[in-house]
Amino acid sequence: MYEVLMFDGGVYRITELYELVEDIGGFVIQKTQIQVMITVTIAIPAEDRPVIEAKTRELGGKLVEVPLAGTEIAVVGPTLGRHHMPHPICDIAEHLRRYGAITVVMGLARGKGRQTAQISADEKAFIEEFDAAVFVLGNFADCILKDKVRLFEKIEIPVAVVCGPEIASVPNCEALVCGIGRKVERMRRAEEIAKLEEAARAVQSVVERRRGEIDEDPLFVHPAEVKQRIEGLELVQESLRPAPIVLHLDGLRVKVPYEQVREQLCGVDVYGRRLCDIATISPSRLGGSTMIHILTKAQVASRDSKAGI
Amino acid sequence: MNIVVEGSEEYGTEVYAELFERILIDLGLTNRVEGAKLLIYPEKHLFIVSVRMRQARLTVMVPEVADLSEKDGGTFMAIRNESYAPALLALLWKLFGRERIEQLSRLEILAHGIPPSRLEDLALNPGEELRKDVLDAIWRLLPEGFKVRHNLFAEGVMTIISTEHEMQEEFMAMGRQLHQDMVNGLDLEAGARNGGDGEEEEDV
Repeated sequence: MYEVLMFDGGVYRITELYELVEDIGGFVIQKTQIQVMITVTIAIPAEDRPVIEAKTRELGGKLVEVPLAGTEIAVVGPTLGRHHMPHPICDIAEHLRRYGAITVVMGLARGKGRQTAQISADEKAFIEEFDAAVFVLGNFADCILKDKVRLFEKIEIPVAVVCGPEIASVPNCEALVCGIGRKVERMRRAEEIAKLEEAARAVQSVVERRRGEIDEDPLFVHPAEVKQRIEGLELVQESLRPAPIVLHLDGLRVKVPYEQVREQLCGVDVYGRRLCDIATISPSRLGGSTMIHILTKAQVASRDSKAGI
Repeated sequence: MNIVVEGSEEYGTEVYAELFERILIDLGLTNRVEGAKLLIYPEKHLFIVSVRMRQARLTVMVPEVADLSEKDGGTFMAIRNESYAPALLALLWKLFGRERIEQLSRLEILAHGIPPSRLEDLALNPGEELRKDVLDAIWRLLPEGFKVRHNLFAEGVMTIISTEHEMQEEFMAMGRQLHQDMVNGLDLEAGARNGGDGEEEEDV
């Protein structure tokens, strides 16, 4: 079982940390260097955490828990209009990033109004590429319960709903956080920050439930291991987009066009097999990206038995 | 400034009173709006906003706010009432362009090549500007999907009735009643104030 942590410290002797992570069978998920300071997100075997803690103390850094690291979350608002953006959607997205998630903020094309609010099949398919989605709604229970619930029904990924009024339950979602409605200013006050924490914890619980489901039928290989193998590809290294490889719970998003990178990805060696034999590789709806969904051990075994291996 | 909200949901009404206050603060209108009343019935798809503004200044002629004198074939203006300076400068820029209007100091303007006779008849109307600003605040507040709107204007009071689908007679009646109450000085806090009269209607 891997544990994801973030090292926050200086660049001095940082290669020692990289080597130690590699020695214990862990992975570096992301590095962000700002001048002489660096944050490194790592996935390590849980039992080796004391070793990493000791090295962190030696290097003068600190270890931060990032329970959402290795996930990509969509934060969805009804529209991009100023009635819904940027507050509090961006505040929630920013708070999720503090928990280690990569977040994408999006507004629906026709999500405004009550009965006129709708979500297209394309938008649903786009949202389903993420590990979880947070729908940020408004201040009226009647509007949310009668009309807005349609926006997130039949979405195949876990959905958390954030809304203003105190509602006991909302259908079609796995988590509900009340007390954050429409706002026209940043959420700075103590009680508002507490609400952001509550939203982040709700998303964390949703993600952990999903992780638990994946553990019941484990993936053939951890996405971080695949990342390690493909980040050396020339096309990936040439990508100028921030975080060219984004980890998901059950795969990865590679920010290189599918047509260009498909062959190279397919040929990547993973424990003696080609990547396309243990994962499905498909174009992403996020322009110029490629999705890799890693198959479970059971699925790979089933394929092997069909092929007579 | 006092904002009164009536509606069918307690949480929503409380939040919208705060939202409107924040919007007015953002736009710098708190001291120009006397009070507002909102009727919010989400189950009927109805949202009515009525705003009573403080008495807007009346239309004034340029010679009433500035001394005009001829200088080098143009006009030198010495502003007497500073509160009109931004409106006067904006009007002159709009009519004659920035290259011909030079602001020498905080209260002095030089209009190149424009004789005083052309400026004496110009009028400033700060009330129109206030109406636009308040309308902007209301549009920021109204739910995005409530696009069917009917406006009621009177001197000092502005009421917007909005809904998502077709406008119903019931909504119009509620809006007209609220508008009339506001015009007649509906008590938004202790001590009622008198509004204006002379109603005009406009469909959006």
